[in-house]
Amino acid sequence: MEYDKILKDLLRRDDYLVVGRSVVRADALDKVLGRAKFTSDYVPKGTAVVKVLRSTQPHALIKRVDTEDALKVHGVLTVLTAADIPGHNQIGYALPDQPFLNDKKAHYIGDPIALVCAEDEYAAVEGMDAVEVEYDPLPAAFTLDAALEEDAAQIHEDGNIAATTRIRKGDTEKGFSAAEVEAEETYKTPHQEHMYLEPEAAYAVPDGASKVIVIGTMQSPFLVREKVAHILGWSLNQVRIIQALTGGAFGGKDDMGPLVCAKAALAAVKLGRPAALVFDRDESAAYTPKRFPARISYRSGADSSGKITAVDVGITVDCGAYANRAPFWLWRMTAHAAGPYAVDNVSVDGRAVYTNKVFGGSFRGFGDPAIHFAAESQVDRLAEELGMDPVEFRLRNVLKPGSRTTCDQILDHSVGIEDCLRGAAEASGWEGRREPRRRGNTVRGIGVGCAYHGISTSRGTPDWSAASLILNKDGSFTYRTGICELGQGSPVGHAKIVAEILGAPLDTIRIEVPDTDSTPNAKPTHGSRGIMLGGTAAADAALKLRQRMVSVAADMISCSEDDIDLREGRAFDRRNPSEGMSFKELAEELYVRGVSPGAYGFYASPKRFFDPETGLGVSYSAYTFAASVVEVEVDTETGQVNVMKVWPAMDVGKAIDPLMIQGQIHGAIAQGMGFTLMERLVVEEGKVLNPNFKDYIIPSALDTPEVAETIIVEKPYRHSAFGAKGVGEPAIISIVPAIANAIHHATGLRFNTLPITAERLHRALRRPNT
Amino acid sequence: MRTLPNYSLHRPTTLKEALELLRTLDMVKPIAGGTDLIILLRDGVIGAKHLVDLGRIEELRYIREEGDAIRIGAMTTHTQLLRSELITEKVPVLRKAAASIGCVQIRNQGTLGGNLCNASPAADTAPALLVLDSNLTIASAEGSRSIPIGDLFTGPKMNSLRQGELLTEIRFQVSPAGSGASFQKLGRRRGLGLSVVNAAAYLEVDGGVCQEARVALGAVAATPLQMHAVEEILKGKQLSQKLIEDAAYACRGQVRPIDDIRASAEYRREMARVLMRRALTDAWERARRSPR
Repeated sequence: MEYDKILKDLLRRDDYLVVGRSVVRADALDKVLGRAKFTSDYVPKGTAVVKVLRSTQPHALIKRVDTEDALKVHGVLTVLTAADIPGHNQIGYALPDQPFLNDKKAHYIGDPIALVCAEDEYAAVEGMDAVEVEYDPLPAAFTLDAALEEDAAQIHEDGNIAATTRIRKGDTEKGFSAAEVEAEETYKTPHQEHMYLEPEAAYAVPDGASKVIVIGTMQSPFLVREKVAHILGWSLNQVRIIQALTGGAFGGKDDMGPLVCAKAALAAVKLGRPAALVFDRDESAAYTPKRFPARISYRSGADSSGKITAVDVGITVDCGAYANRAPFWLWRMTAHAAGPYAVDNVSVDGRAVYTNKVFGGSFRGFGDPAIHFAAESQVDRLAEELGMDPVEFRLRNVLKPGSRTTCDQILDHSVGIEDCLRGAAEASGWEGRREPRRRGNTVRGIGVGCAYHGISTSRGTPDWSAASLILNKDGSFTYRTGICELGQGSPVGHAKIVAEILGAPLDTIRIEVPDTDSTPNAKPTHGSRGIMLGGTAAADAALKLRQRMVSVAADMISCSEDDIDLREGRAFDRRNPSEGMSFKELAEELYVRGVSPGAYGFYASPKRFFDPETGLGVSYSAYTFAASVVEVEVDTETGQVNVMKVWPAMDVGKAIDPLMIQGQIHGAIAQGMGFTLMERLVVEEGKVLNPNFKDYIIPSALDTPEVAETIIVEKPYRHSAFGAKGVGEPAIISIVPAIANAIHHATGLRFNTLPITAERLHRALRRPNT
Repeated sequence: MRTLPNYSLHRPTTLKEALELLRTLDMVKPIAGGTDLIILLRDGVIGAKHLVDLGRIEELRYIREEGDAIRIGAMTTHTQLLRSELITEKVPVLRKAAASIGCVQIRNQGTLGGNLCNASPAADTAPALLVLDSNLTIASAEGSRSIPIGDLFTGPKMNSLRQGELLTEIRFQVSPAGSGASFQKLGRRRGLGLSVVNAAAYLEVDGGVCQEARVALGAVAATPLQMHAVEEILKGKQLSQKLIEDAAYACRGQVRPIDDIRASAEYRREMARVLMRRALTDAWERARRSPR
């Protein structure tokens, strides 16, 4: 079925009822008024407090963990170590390198060693102070270079390289010999901490002796269930996970959700009473995964017509103490290495390297902001070498329908980068802004960035999602999806898809919270897949239910099924609309006749394939494209960069809700600005020195720029509901290089390392040659 | 992060009660808005068995003009300063400094007296109050004394108050016609910023000649600094952009900044110059708009 053609083919309508229109979300008011409930709001008084005892050493053998004195502290209930884990003490997502509680070795400052469980916070802190851990320190490697030395400290048994990737496409040597100009640079991108409003939290309640319920902040209830069961040595149906409203996630809670929920669950099961683990800000900022830092060496060339002839990239990702998602992250960077351009000759080598620092992990964009920062800086450099306008140069290389990606995947449809780029350039008046504008001590410049982002997870892994929908006896609907509400609103998007297909008023569809005991497994809320995969499962459920509703309605009014239309909560004969019934009457009839009022929706992505030897194949089933133009004002005396205005454009396939897309773009602009200009995690000898909002600076509302109305390009994707593609991650990627390119336009200075802080820019302005 | 240690909270409603509590209790600290103190207590940087909350002492919350002086009670919040017509009209330099502090919640909670007594080298109201030539009233159960504001700061997070003493009032003269003052701040972002450097300047100008100059910088030394040597460059001279450049440049030699997580010493030194030039230029411009 071509899901992008549901409207015409199945609904037989020309215009949409709710899809494509902006709605004010029903949950918005509760959130701004503080009435919405988040995990820690569920924790009652009297719940046992769980705290994580962490390594103070960056790299050391653990000789002994003595809990005797801690157990004597008044109010301490128990102290759990690796020996207390009934199931498996291994929680690495990609590689089995990450103990849940460490009993042999500490890999970074903050590595979990024990769980102190107490009646209250005071007793827990006193208990933590009383646990004695005896270490045998080992030499540590804090930097990529140190970890890659031949005699470097071995952080894990199989050496310090956790994973490698490669792509060989065409002949790069031939490509470079055809090049008129070349650029070769090394780029460095830093950590970025999520700094979500709500730190990690979980509340676990034993349900009899053989079941545990966990309420937590997360992105994937079913992954959480799997990991909790794994740690407890239980089967999946003994663990019930409920996702509370999640106060920001950005990938961080995909990684941390299972780790935190499993700790609370272990404590609750061991104590036989409810237990809660709520991180404070310092803990969240110092010890949980960050955006993986990366070092990218990049050589590219273009011929005199402005065609990119070859790209040769080396990527080194700094994993920190554990691989976590680094193999997937590295692959995404590898696959997107040439940017959204058709390049015939590509060679990419990637490696992910362990160091004794806090480990990296999932973060909005998943490596694409870093690789696009490099790729888009290179593109600007090549254009400059050729004396060509950066927009014009890009237009000569962008992917078009029929083009092949870096991985040699043919993109036969849903390729909107050219329209995005032309749209953003035109809206910003690009042509008229080619001269930097000086005024007093400030200078303004303009920059462009393009991006593409493969939706959902990569390579050959089967990808699918599920949802369920019930028509209640009163004509209302109950919708269930495992796709989580993280602030982004995906489940509301699902409800709109359901409303469109069923002709049901949006407020008659109730979205239930994800609960693994009743919600279908939708797979995780990551990879910008919430709408594209989850929403298509919703469409499948709605189409199945619609068929039954239409069939019963046709029978009731004795007309053909083809003549039945559903709209505004009514089923009627479209030739004679007064002939019909309300959904309440229709629902009652379904229940009376014994026709199932429930539907299970399931959607699987088209099959992909992947050759690990060449890296070629179909890595992602669809790509979202984006372009941004950014204007900056640089204070040449202080080095401060003021982002004045952003003109964003995005090919979203089909906009389910333009307002929610704007919301994603506005948030991503702020987060992208933070990454590009100011966020700097200071890690010295493995210790994070600024794990707080005071010293880890993220943009404030006053720093955010004017944002022009998003140019929404709609090149529908054939295999998703109404053609929609993901938005959350693609929104951040192009902003990063666009700001850096605008700074270059204003000042003539090009930065290969982020963040471009005021102080660094000031220094460079004083010494333009370095 | 640690949990906040246990302490006894005392909530007097008069200054007299507060001073008596401070005199008699052991391991006691006064607490104003608490925006800095609570964090120091939680992190174990300071310890206290007793906290005397000054928040209910209404007699310490006022903004008054008496004769040619403006008197501000130490418990006046930043928000109260911002909303005061008197401050907006007659002391815009203090308004701008108070407005640049933290966020709405911090400004609602934090007080002028607390901002000074916390003695952060980066305190935003300090340079403004230094160039206004403020005097402080310090009270204790034994009586009260008055000190120039410059005598309050003795080091990073250290002030000259003795045990049992409280800062109760900040006062300064209303600036005469022909004068202008300016506050400038450089943070790492525009909102919620801690100052990397802040600066204030006050000029009295008559016929283009600088009759009086007071300049101060913050976050460039262990305490907020009034730059007397720089003031001497300006006093009695015909004001010009060149003179202002020279005075601003002289700040570089007067400051003693450190490298920290927010900025390097060298950047701070250079920004001291830039901000002082901007403050002096703005103060001069304001003085010209208010001729004698």
